[in-house]
Amino acid sequence: MVPAERYGYTVARLRAMENRILDDSVLQRLVESDDLENAMKILGETPYSSWLVELKSNSEFDKTIELELGFVYSEITKFVPDTRLVDICRIPYDFHNVKVLLKSHILQRDGGDRRFDLLTTLGKIPTDDLILAIESEDYRLLPFGLHSAFPRSLTMWEQSHDILEVEKSLDRLLFGEMRKLAREINVDAVDKWLKGRIDAENLRNILRLKRMELDPAVVASFLHDGGWVSIERLVSLLGEPIEGWGRVLSFADIGGVLLHAQESIDLSSLIVEMEKVLDEYTTGILRRAKYGAFSPENILYYIWSKEMESKNLRMILVAIANDTDRDMVRGLMRRG
Amino acid sequence: MDLLGIMLAICGAALAAGFAGAGSAIGVGIAGESGAGVMTEDPGKFGLVLLLQALPGTQGIYGLLIAFFAILKVGLLGGGGAVTVNVWQGLGVLFACLPIAIAGYFSGIAQGKTSASCIQMIAKRPEETGKAVILPAMVETYAVLALLMSIILLNGIQI
Repeated sequence: MVPAERYGYTVARLRAMENRILDDSVLQRLVESDDLENAMKILGETPYSSWLVELKSNSEFDKTIELELGFVYSEITKFVPDTRLVDICRIPYDFHNVKVLLKSHILQRDGGDRRFDLLTTLGKIPTDDLILAIESEDYRLLPFGLHSAFPRSLTMWEQSHDILEVEKSLDRLLFGEMRKLAREINVDAVDKWLKGRIDAENLRNILRLKRMELDPAVVASFLHDGGWVSIERLVSLLGEPIEGWGRVLSFADIGGVLLHAQESIDLSSLIVEMEKVLDEYTTGILRRAKYGAFSPENILYYIWSKEMESKNLRMILVAIANDTDRDMVRGLMRRG
Repeated sequence: MDLLGIMLAICGAALAAGFAGAGSAIGVGIAGESGAGVMTEDPGKFGLVLLLQALPGTQGIYGLLIAFFAILKVGLLGGGGAVTVNVWQGLGVLFACLPIAIAGYFSGIAQGKTSASCIQMIAKRPEETGKAVILPAMVETYAVLALLMSIILLNGIQI
């Protein structure tokens, strides 16, 4: 564990970098934009302006969002005393890339096209290295247990042709690696954040799976260990009406977010609403970090805030591009 | 025995200057780290950062002041020549130096941490600079009280 005194420079720099985070007034102006061109003009007045010059057309806004987030990740990695604090946030992107490459590999075998355009540069492993390792079938140097997980996933696919099963095993490895990193970092707040994040992911999964009316044993296999709420307790929710879930989980912090379940009209709208509520729940766990001038969790809080900004921005710009209802977007925006 | 009295007084002066100076050095260092972090992103805040970084430096000055008083008292400084100091007088000077040595060391570090936090505050809210200066200044109160006590105690010793 890196001593807290070493975070003085890092936290101060992050406080100064908070000016890069778009405030509510900018997001509201973006929501009210008539078209993508106006939205891009507003973005041009923000730190995103540096990346706008790289766009060929306004419809490539996703690239701007990715470039800004990538800049934040690479910049923070340079000055943070313990880079594992950044790695724990980047791992999900590495696993996303692995899933994309795995599916590309399978598609290619069946005569389809490879989808390298779906790869993200936000992961810790450079995409070129990942592609090279997979194309040359030289997995030895892949980190996070992927050196054995990737060939295992391929074998699993060949045996079962069940992509959900393959994704499930990769997700299990992802959360296992995140837990391992959190143990190595050895900061209480990071552990709490990860537990909260696993709870949120489990609740998100269980809501989706309830809609599919799957067997509880199947549902259990989609849930992850390591949260505040045990898998057994989560599976027991399936026997209860959704309105009663908050009562069953009232012993845990995440029980509070289920109060929203009582107000929702149907399961589909609840799932959409819960996506936002669960993200805000995770933000809430980290929010206490801002009171610590030397707390390592400030790094997670900043990165998470940027992630939420990216989500909000993506939602707003997609809504503008497709001319969908702006009030719906306002309702789904994550609050910091 | 006369020499021991002088040595005790010198020891007091050394503690006052050394501990208070060390506290200030650590405090200024802590505040400086935060200041560097803010200025990496916003070099325009140099003036505000410098003001806040300098605040924990005062303990070192207080320590030095008491060290001067102590050695003046036993005649090691100035043109008057050394005076006779017995063990009890030397011990008195040593004890008189302790308030600023102890309070200077700890308050210097504490003020450094408060200054660092306030530097973080002005990184986000430069309009709150006034409040940002008051918070570390509160820590200063206790260093000033210790300085006063050291001066009063030194004045009370008859040599």
